[in-house]
Amino acid sequence: MEILDALMAGFATAITPGNLLWALVGCALGTAVGVLPGIGPAVAVAMLLPITAKVEVTASMIFFAGIYYGAMYGGSTTSILLNTPGETASMVTAMEGNKMAKSGRAGAALATAAIGSFIAGTIATVVVTLFAPTVAEFAVKLGPPEYFMLMVLAFTTVSAVLGQSRVRGMTALFIGLAAGCIGMDQISGAARYTGGKMELLDGIDIVLVAVGLFAVAEVLYAALYEGRTKDTQNHMGRVHMTRLDWKRSIPAWLRGTAIGTPFGCIPAGGTEIPTFLSYAAEKKLAKGSNKDEFGRQGAIEGVAGPEAANNATVTAALIPLLTLGIPTSNTTAVLLGAFQNYGINPGPQLFTTSATLVWALIASLYIGNLMLLVLNLPMVGLWVKLLKIPKPQLYAGILIFATVGAYGMRQSAFDLFLLYGIGLLGVLMRRFDFPTAPVVVGMILGPLAEAQMRNAVSIGEGSWLIFLQRPMSLTLIIIVLAVLIVPRLLQRRART
Amino acid sequence: MTDPSPLDSSDISLSSEASAVPGVRLQTAVGAGVLLVAAGLAFGALSIPGDAGYGGVGPNFLPWVCALVLALCGGLLVWEARSGGYRAMAEPSGGVQADWSAAVWVSAGLLLNAALITTLGFILSCTLCYVLAVQGLRRAAGQAQARAPRTWAVDLFTGLCISAPVFWIFTQFLAINLPGLTGTGWL
Repeated sequence: MEILDALMAGFATAITPGNLLWALVGCALGTAVGVLPGIGPAVAVAMLLPITAKVEVTASMIFFAGIYYGAMYGGSTTSILLNTPGETASMVTAMEGNKMAKSGRAGAALATAAIGSFIAGTIATVVVTLFAPTVAEFAVKLGPPEYFMLMVLAFTTVSAVLGQSRVRGMTALFIGLAAGCIGMDQISGAARYTGGKMELLDGIDIVLVAVGLFAVAEVLYAALYEGRTKDTQNHMGRVHMTRLDWKRSIPAWLRGTAIGTPFGCIPAGGTEIPTFLSYAAEKKLAKGSNKDEFGRQGAIEGVAGPEAANNATVTAALIPLLTLGIPTSNTTAVLLGAFQNYGINPGPQLFTTSATLVWALIASLYIGNLMLLVLNLPMVGLWVKLLKIPKPQLYAGILIFATVGAYGMRQSAFDLFLLYGIGLLGVLMRRFDFPTAPVVVGMILGPLAEAQMRNAVSIGEGSWLIFLQRPMSLTLIIIVLAVLIVPRLLQRRART
Repeated sequence: MTDPSPLDSSDISLSSEASAVPGVRLQTAVGAGVLLVAAGLAFGALSIPGDAGYGGVGPNFLPWVCALVLALCGGLLVWEARSGGYRAMAEPSGGVQADWSAAVWVSAGLLLNAALITTLGFILSCTLCYVLAVQGLRRAAGQAQARAPRTWAVDLFTGLCISAPVFWIFTQFLAINLPGLTGTGWL
């Protein structure tokens, strides 16, 4: 009952005309960003982070959540219609969605993706509503050793599970952690790696890294390597599902949600594993002629399941973000940065200290999901037109927005040079297949983890055994070890 | 750095032709780069005080951990590169050859923007960045009309049409400080 009251209060805040407008603009912008190649939700949120200086916290978080959400819907449209796989989250959708589109069933694929996203998003939001307060209550009891191990868990999953190579994942993570060291040490106040430059004393801003690594690197990469790449687009057709399509989609949506939600809840990032698991499950469960469609004409279950799993994971990922302050993806890492700009540190106290904000945010997820369904089903044709923007103009335009994000944060031209340098690093990482998410997560979470670790060792009076002596922390160490081993086995099994 | 370096005859995993995967020599260079970063971090860590207070863990602890782990990773990367190339390497998207001239145009746009934004103001500086970047991207795409004066004019106009409204929205509505050529807030 308490939860219901809080949620209703949240709706009361979220439903004011101003906040509704922010949600609508966020969802629309998010869809556009998702559809357009070259910019993802992390960059979009990062570029718009300077607005935190002016816009009130609830409104801007509703706005950012809309972008976060909308991009997932938009991303599936592109992966179904364009024959180039986009971000990793929609890669599985692209496998079957593309085949469906090629055999003239793009409309049904788009519909099942949008409705599946809506259903999964809504169910996962219910889970967030019900469980986030409980997790928060539990999390209050955690001390620095447990927090530190939770963050290690997040680091491990982001760097070791995502991407193909552990060595490259670890390299990326530790580059992020090292970048997070730059500036003034928060406990002792000692300057680290500033080289005497005043500009570096405050550290490197996350906006700079996210925008440089994703937006600027993307543009440079496009100029260097992708000039001659031609995208071919599938014909869209009418967005419509037959009775049989519904019958095949509904169980797949539900299974996808059931697979995706738990993966989002734990601080173990990435949508790759749940989407892939959902795909494998659908393929295994399909019978007769439906089974033959997989990999040939395209099976609707292969779009419905993974797409639902994707959205469920992404939504449930808000639980570790809000209750523990642990981001597990690029976008949630940038969202954490947004909270920090307001001087708010997400964590178990958030539900008591900023109850209005949290519940308005959760309420806006319900509203946003509904808005996105409307924006994406009848209006999908409009979004597809965005794919007609020629690449040179689109990418050059992105640079203007990148400038706003990077310069608007601190009004320093030095940052723009730094932005270029980070862009070059991004090109290198992309060409040599280094994952970029660990850099961002490491940079944001690194200073927090360091503080927890130093506090923990202080509690242990200088002894590192403190991490083994507390049962919860020991459990987490075991989980970290399991995370390193189990997914590999699962993936191997799913492939066969 | 334009094309993958010739491969050893013993190298089987990377011997497919016209692969966009960077060659062994470049991979080794990247590994060496990571080692260099690690060395830089270690050098920097020397000047960070290690005073730990109660805890036994001072501000120089994490920098040393980063330096050591990156040194290990760099070493492993070099070893991987020398023994058949990076493991589980995904084929990077796009062409095998890099289009350096296009990148120079885009870089010029970005760097001039950084250098001139405080003097020219946001609108003009960003328009310049746009025009140069779009020129590079057009050339990369092999557009024949990229060099035509008409294309330049159209790009100049488009650049203004993007950067001016962006400037106004951010400065007037969102009160974000962006540099102007004049103090009016409109240019």
